Amino acid sequence: MMAMTNIKTTWIEASVVENEVHMSIVELSHASRTPQELIMSWVSEGVLSPVGSSPQDWRFSGDSLKRAKTAAHLTHDLELNVSGVALALDLLDEIAQLRARLQREL
Amino acid sequence: MKFRDYYEALGVARGASETEIKAAYRKLARKYHPDVNKEAGAEEQFKEIGEAYAVLKDTEKRAAYDRFGANWKNGQDFTPPPNWNEGFEYADNSFGGGHPGYGGGFEGDQSEFFESLFGRGKHRQGGRGGQSRQGMNFKGQDHHAKILIDLADAYNGAKRTISLHMPTQDATGHVSTQERKLDVSIPKGIKAGQNLRLSGQGGPGIGEGPAGDLYLEIDFHPNPIYRIDGKDIFIDIPLAPWEAALGTTVNVPTPAGSTLELKIPAGTIAGRKMRLKGKGIPTSAEAGDLYVVPTIVLPPANTDTQKEAYQNFEKAFDFNPRTHLKG
Repeated sequence: MMAMTNIKTTWIEASVVENEVHMSIVELSHASRTPQELIMSWVSEGVLSPVGSSPQDWRFSGDSLKRAKTAAHLTHDLELNVSGVALALDLLDEIAQLRARLQREL
Repeated sequence: MKFRDYYEALGVARGASETEIKAAYRKLARKYHPDVNKEAGAEEQFKEIGEAYAVLKDTEKRAAYDRFGANWKNGQDFTPPPNWNEGFEYADNSFGGGHPGYGGGFEGDQSEFFESLFGRGKHRQGGRGGQSRQGMNFKGQDHHAKILIDLADAYNGAKRTISLHMPTQDATGHVSTQERKLDVSIPKGIKAGQNLRLSGQGGPGIGEGPAGDLYLEIDFHPNPIYRIDGKDIFIDIPLAPWEAALGTTVNVPTPAGSTLELKIPAGTIAGRKMRLKGKGIPTSAEAGDLYVVPTIVLPPANTDTQKEAYQNFEKAFDFNPRTHLKG
């Protein structure tokens, strides 16, 4: 007969990226699987708005990770260039706002 | 196993040129890209066309696939004949449409049909950046997955055991999918679209490097009662016409599990929202609001008594709801 074992569950504590995490360009590059140079070009195009004056000091927070992931998907899957990605993200933001308004007025 | 017609998936003829195939793929990829198209089933479609394109854009794979001929129909039961691909050589074994973070799992979720023909795509260890592994120490790959939680979990916080499917590669390069269970604390106040970072729960480090992180993107299970907009929640409260006209008190269930008594004032109009401040998702900044949206439901007039009640209604009012139409 098998002995009864008490399994103790350790709950993994997680941090909410949008509120508590301020990523460096190295972390964001790793998490979004994007070369740092591409992230820099997104910053210069206004796709991402980090705090800090130089790339080494940049801190990405809020929805930066989400935006970087979407930008990376669009770049990879649709072969969009930097300005194409910027335009697509602006339009996606606008669609999201319109959807939210529709939802409120449903 | 079902046969997949890759030409049909891209909507091109079997004799289509590379340019036509590319154009068809691009058009469909833009339409069904899961970041662009939020309709149910779009993600599935996107994977299908990605798989079709991975085969048809590759001269060798396409030639091998074409050997099955045009008689096979989409969805037909299919077993590849032995040695069917003899004499074909594939330059790369990786799947073009790999898309981290979709489908609740990780990369490499091709159809069984694709895998039986061309094998499983290699799990890309280095990610998009590409890393050399020889004698170097690197942080392990960061992994991404989507998880669905209940709206109540965002109000109260929760402890949830989630299972993730992830491809793992053994020493011989063989890839298999492993289920992994994680016990995660869901913090109170989380919103849809936010990410949880679980440090060190991603891919194993290379050399002496630390393990990568796991990012879980949060979404809510569809809810029949509440609509969710960021931290604000909307609930429809149906009222009988006399309740709206004369006022009443209703019980409003909150996503947290409690019930609030709400006074409906006399003369309430359908659609005029009432805000319960701070009763939305309790985010770390300012809590969201719960909006009660009154709707008015007319009881059907079935019996004579009920019809008479409506007739009395008519007599009691000099009421024309269409005066503004000047009809």
